[in-house]
Amino acid sequence: MLWLYLHFPHLLLDHVRRNQDASGALAIVDGAGQYVVQACPAARDLGISPGMRLKTALGLAPDLNILRADPKQEAWLLEDQARWLYHYAAHITLAPPDGLWAEISSLQKLYGGLPAIWQTVEQALTERQLTAWVAIGHTPQAARLLAHTGKGECTADKGHILTELGNLPLQAAGFDKKSCTRLQRLGLNTLGEVFALPAPELARRLSPELLAIIQKIQGTRADPKAPWQPPHTFRQRADFIQEVEHAQGLLFSLQRILAELEEDLCWRQQDTDTLLLVLQHRHEEPTRLRIRTTGPEHRAEVFLKLIQLKLDQQPLRAPVTGLVLAVKRFTGREAPGGQDLLGETQDLNEAWHTLISRLQARLGEQALRQLAPRDDHRPEQAWSAGEVRKPGKGQASTSALLPHRPLWLLNGPRPLEQTPVAWHSGPERISGGWWDGQRVHRDYYIAQLPGGELAWVFRDVHDGWFIHGWFG
Amino acid sequence: MAGGYAELFCFSNFTFLTGASHPHELAERALELGYDAIAITDACSVAGIPRAWAALKDSPVKLITGSWFELDDAPAGATTPRFILLAQSRKGYGQLCQLITTGRRRADKGQYQLFARDIETHELDHCLCLWLPPATTGASYEQALACGEWLQRLFEQRLRIAATRTLEAGEEQQLVRVRQLAEQLQLAIAATGEVHMHARERQPLQDVLTALRHHATVENAGHCLFQNGERYLRPLPVLQRLFPPAWLQETVNIANSCSFEPGSLRYEYPPDLVPEGETPAAYLKRLTREGERRRYPEGTPMKVQALIRKELGMISELNYEHYFLTIHDIVAFARKRGILCQGRGSAANSAVCYCLGITEVNPAKVELLFERFISKDRDEPPDIDVDFEHQRREEVIQYIYQRYGRERAALAATVIRYRYRSAIRDVGKALGFDAALVEKLLDGIDWRDKSTNWRQQILDKGLTRNPKVAEQFFTLVNTLLGFPRHLSQHVGGFVISAGPLAELVPVENAAMEGRTVIQWDKDDLESLGLMKVDVLALGMLTAIRKALELISEEKGQAFTMQDVPQEDPDTYAMLQKGDSIGVFQVESRAQINMLPRLKPETFYDLVIEVAIVRPGPIQGNMVHPYLRRKHGLEPVEFPNDAVRQVLERTLGVPIFQEQVIKLAMVAAGFTGGEADKLRRAMAAWKSHGDLTPFRDKLITGMLERGHDPDFAERLYQQICGFGGYGFPESHAASFALLVYVSAWIKRHYPAAFYCALLNSQPMGFYSPSQLVQDAQRHKVTVLAPDVNHSHREHTLQGPEKHLRLGLRIIQGLSSSGADRIHQHRPKNGYQSAAELRTRAGLNQRDMELLAGANAMPGFTSNRHQAYWQLLEHEEPAELFANEPMADYQPEPCHLLPEPTEGQNVLADYSSQGLTLQRHPLALLREQGHLSYCLTADQLKTTRPGIPVQVAGLVTGRQRPGTASGVTFVTLEDETGNINVVVWLETARRQRKPLLTARLLHVKGVIEKEGDIVHVMAGKLSDLSHLINSLPVSSRDFH
Repeated sequence: MLWLYLHFPHLLLDHVRRNQDASGALAIVDGAGQYVVQACPAARDLGISPGMRLKTALGLAPDLNILRADPKQEAWLLEDQARWLYHYAAHITLAPPDGLWAEISSLQKLYGGLPAIWQTVEQALTERQLTAWVAIGHTPQAARLLAHTGKGECTADKGHILTELGNLPLQAAGFDKKSCTRLQRLGLNTLGEVFALPAPELARRLSPELLAIIQKIQGTRADPKAPWQPPHTFRQRADFIQEVEHAQGLLFSLQRILAELEEDLCWRQQDTDTLLLVLQHRHEEPTRLRIRTTGPEHRAEVFLKLIQLKLDQQPLRAPVTGLVLAVKRFTGREAPGGQDLLGETQDLNEAWHTLISRLQARLGEQALRQLAPRDDHRPEQAWSAGEVRKPGKGQASTSALLPHRPLWLLNGPRPLEQTPVAWHSGPERISGGWWDGQRVHRDYYIAQLPGGELAWVFRDVHDGWFIHGWFG
Repeated sequence: MAGGYAELFCFSNFTFLTGASHPHELAERALELGYDAIAITDACSVAGIPRAWAALKDSPVKLITGSWFELDDAPAGATTPRFILLAQSRKGYGQLCQLITTGRRRADKGQYQLFARDIETHELDHCLCLWLPPATTGASYEQALACGEWLQRLFEQRLRIAATRTLEAGEEQQLVRVRQLAEQLQLAIAATGEVHMHARERQPLQDVLTALRHHATVENAGHCLFQNGERYLRPLPVLQRLFPPAWLQETVNIANSCSFEPGSLRYEYPPDLVPEGETPAAYLKRLTREGERRRYPEGTPMKVQALIRKELGMISELNYEHYFLTIHDIVAFARKRGILCQGRGSAANSAVCYCLGITEVNPAKVELLFERFISKDRDEPPDIDVDFEHQRREEVIQYIYQRYGRERAALAATVIRYRYRSAIRDVGKALGFDAALVEKLLDGIDWRDKSTNWRQQILDKGLTRNPKVAEQFFTLVNTLLGFPRHLSQHVGGFVISAGPLAELVPVENAAMEGRTVIQWDKDDLESLGLMKVDVLALGMLTAIRKALELISEEKGQAFTMQDVPQEDPDTYAMLQKGDSIGVFQVESRAQINMLPRLKPETFYDLVIEVAIVRPGPIQGNMVHPYLRRKHGLEPVEFPNDAVRQVLERTLGVPIFQEQVIKLAMVAAGFTGGEADKLRRAMAAWKSHGDLTPFRDKLITGMLERGHDPDFAERLYQQICGFGGYGFPESHAASFALLVYVSAWIKRHYPAAFYCALLNSQPMGFYSPSQLVQDAQRHKVTVLAPDVNHSHREHTLQGPEKHLRLGLRIIQGLSSSGADRIHQHRPKNGYQSAAELRTRAGLNQRDMELLAGANAMPGFTSNRHQAYWQLLEHEEPAELFANEPMADYQPEPCHLLPEPTEGQNVLADYSSQGLTLQRHPLALLREQGHLSYCLTADQLKTTRPGIPVQVAGLVTGRQRPGTASGVTFVTLEDETGNINVVVWLETARRQRKPLLTARLLHVKGVIEKEGDIVHVMAGKLSDLSHLINSLPVSSRDFH
């Protein structure tokens, strides 16, 4: 067996960089915002290195751009890489958080030798603007260690590989910290010196586990790797260091993602009729857009046009910090979609989906809204007409103790022009919203107007009187 | 009185993350609004009372002490009761405190837990209960009624029902319910404001606090926030519109029935210490007399006798005997246990304290001020802090607990307050700012630059795009500053009482296991005139005691602090050279630089030395004038006799805090009261005080009296510098004594000195490595740790008094293991690793650490081989365990390399933090890496003004607050330390090497001032990579 290993030294950075051409140093920090996890070359030039405290890093570069690492994001970023690599090699294994194995001995014939494989991979990396250190080894671990140190060469010569491994410093061997310290205390500096120790002594004086690791590197112990299975959905994401203010700014990333989608669909031999585009904002809830095609489709340009159309209709609510494009429904290229063998409709969920998409198709997506209560004292903010969600999902828990409110809340307050004939309750004072610029300070009353209607009226700070709703 | 009102329900900000106003803000607003009374009713706490009392004690508004409670369970059929208890009398106050203590002691720090059973069993017959009936949405009428009936059974005639009008939804139904309950239970209704803030403008802050409490942002906190901002102290006309007159009248009735005043709390001294049949005064006199005989065996000098008479008179006039007896008792305990201690503080430097053994500053030999002893005018308790050896202070604390019992002794609290960083973090959190960006903002702020434009910073860093939010953020942060966050334990302030302490002030749990704190802090105690005893920890006392023991051993007779000869010229000569590493207080870089300039020749010079390198004198620009006058370069002049009296000792330059205050009186015309206010404002300046009101008064006052305007301005600056770090002469005098003693030991018994210092680590400014190097420079031979020679502690060995490092220097080695190695060592030493392991019963970890430290040179050829041997081990069979194992010598492994000198040096550093082999810089120099660099030694003989290159391990980076923008870097090479000065511009351009280098190379210009050598940095380069190359390229060293 022969293994190819791809080590991505800064996957997150590459990911961010290829979505936005930004100048300046950039560093990825850990979830708590305490340490630098990855640093771009510009940041490294300023002396910032992974593992450094953010405080120190900011001391070195006060204008450093920082981005929070998210383990989930890293995991699917890696998966993403596996997906394209899967087009070239059938047996792939993930090495979280930042590496991939591909078994390549079986591929040599297909591609016409190792150099061809190497070149194919390098080219794919360049196309995707990814940095990866590639190495080949006769065992998975050998390939991984060589890739980690950036010492990979396009050779299958076991002797040469072992020599290279032997030259690696101890710290690069990936041993656990305790074993590493112990070996160092014995005065050993390279992996080769460890290889030279007799195996039984190693197992006895250090640990059997350590021996196992060493044997896996050398190839004297089996190290099976389970092949990875590609996921059933498509999901791609772009993050921006600088917020994008205009829809135009999203197209660059969208083009890339849609191209990958097309590639993915071709490879799956499937089509889709629904794309989900989620735009993330710093302070607001994300915008969720559903893009539907008229029929099964796989061409990037068609998708892009539809998205452009959608974005033209619906301007951005707020600057965008990131976007996700997902496809969950695939249709076979040939088979017509629709009913099952017995002609019955699918489950309720599917029925609901069908109803909603029909309504949306008929009325336009903008026209369809779902009502929900919102947790806010201000009447205007106490409800929302949001995007239609699946039943039972994402519903805010409704408080049982909602205050007494009119069923009909006017679109906006309207001046009170008649003197009420009777006052039924009040004042109820509502003041709040200082944080979002929509501050209210009002005294509400329930009043009966000369025509007999029960109105919800309020007086504001300027002593103006308004009607805000009607009671039944 | 018709139309009056008393607010009986107020949360101050001592109900953390709930109340949005300080207690004094509430109190002052109540006064402005013309309330009859105000009750501060924090949740299970009276922590806010002293501050409210300070604001109200001379006003017509009555302060009622109360507390709000929510129980953890409910009586049968009822809802969980919520109510307020108000203390009606001193006894009621004690009952309230007791209940709070029960609730607080049961729960974790910061929490409380009370059950219905507690209310039934605690005596609360002098407390009035104000019931807060449950909301209509929260409980049925029957449940509410059951709750009311339960309370009525317990409080009978002392139960009222509270009604509130916050104008929120559902209020009408609630009022209906209150009336119904009141009628059915025959209860009077009292109006309350459910106050959370003193003014409506605090609503945003209250919302922020609420959001934080719910771990939410204001935007998504929704219904957790109050519907409006009505929970403030409302003007009387508003209240009169909202409530029926009877409900308002009832609040006044309640207030009238509460007669307890916090000012009536009188501290009662524990009577335990006075023998039966003797008065405290007589007993103190007797103890003082006994002390006199001990201190002055040849008879007390007349001067001292007179002093003692005067002091005793004052003590008895103010009834402070118990205080002195209490301190004496604690100090006597420490003496008996051989724990070194020393008192300091205004009252400490007195002849009585000297006789009682509280201090060692001999009034007969040292000309000292005793004026500030105790002032009759100031109604404040005397202040004595006692420092104890840091490693043994816990024994003293345990003694106090045991002597007075946990019911009668507890530590004072320290109120931890919001500072800039915490306030910015929390407000940022509540406003939903990105946490990483907030951190970035925090890092970008120059905290010393008071003119920072916050709004711009916030916008620049992209925290928000809304300028209005930025503005709000700034206001919120500023308001939140100084708000209490939680109660922590004071470093050592004990409150000891005659009766149960919990009747004087509630006691709660501290974070530390087995520690309890009271709900008041140091300032609160002072404002209520309660006494506390400060039991502090001081590392230098530990070191001095250990050094004295070593000297006694060497001399073969007991040698104590009193035996240290006074005014020894050699000692002063050493200090004048700035040779003071390890010496108490004067070992910092700034002090080392000051010593050769001030050239101390007498004890009093040391008192000044200790006090002069501090923010006060430095900001007041008093240092240079003093030095010029001391060295006769400038005449010593006084504008008048009054000033002469204050400044004579310090050559006309104010140095000490009390001089500054006195100057305010004699030179600026402050009255005694004003001067006292100034002193308090200075003490509080850093947290929340403001000194500007005093500025005009001070400067105009001084100009009117014909003083120089420049001097006046400098004096004001000095006052600001003292803020928060006040350093009075009395403290300086006690510290100076320890400076002298430690310097004397260093000069005459260097081996004992370093040995004791190393055994007292961690303490002081310097690492063990730096201390060992300093010891070697002082001709002390230092030997490596060795299982066949070392104890756990560092020891002096042989007639030459070589300093043998103890096994404790090996980082991570278990102390019990280290002890056993010493105890079980055979006469002729351990012969093998296996024998060591078995006899001393060491685990694998300890064995590996010993090998890593190369501490087995007797039977291993080098650390690599030692380690190899250790890694193979099987428990020897029981049978052979006690047989000699000397003949068992394991095979060495030939595959392992011999350690190089560089490897050994690095291994030493990683195992012990120091090396006794050559300094890494010496190795690098030998290898030709540092060809143009001068050593620290060479710098001393180099002409100033010429360009030089130096290199060294970075041992310190400092940006002192008093030197704007300058970074001081200390480099260490094989000959000593090099001081590098980096100006702000240089630092900005070379952040990377400045902040990250472990081994730094500096090109710069040498500057000298007397014996002080600095290198003004130009180009900095990071040579850290050379350290890692040490083991590889070093020559073999056999």
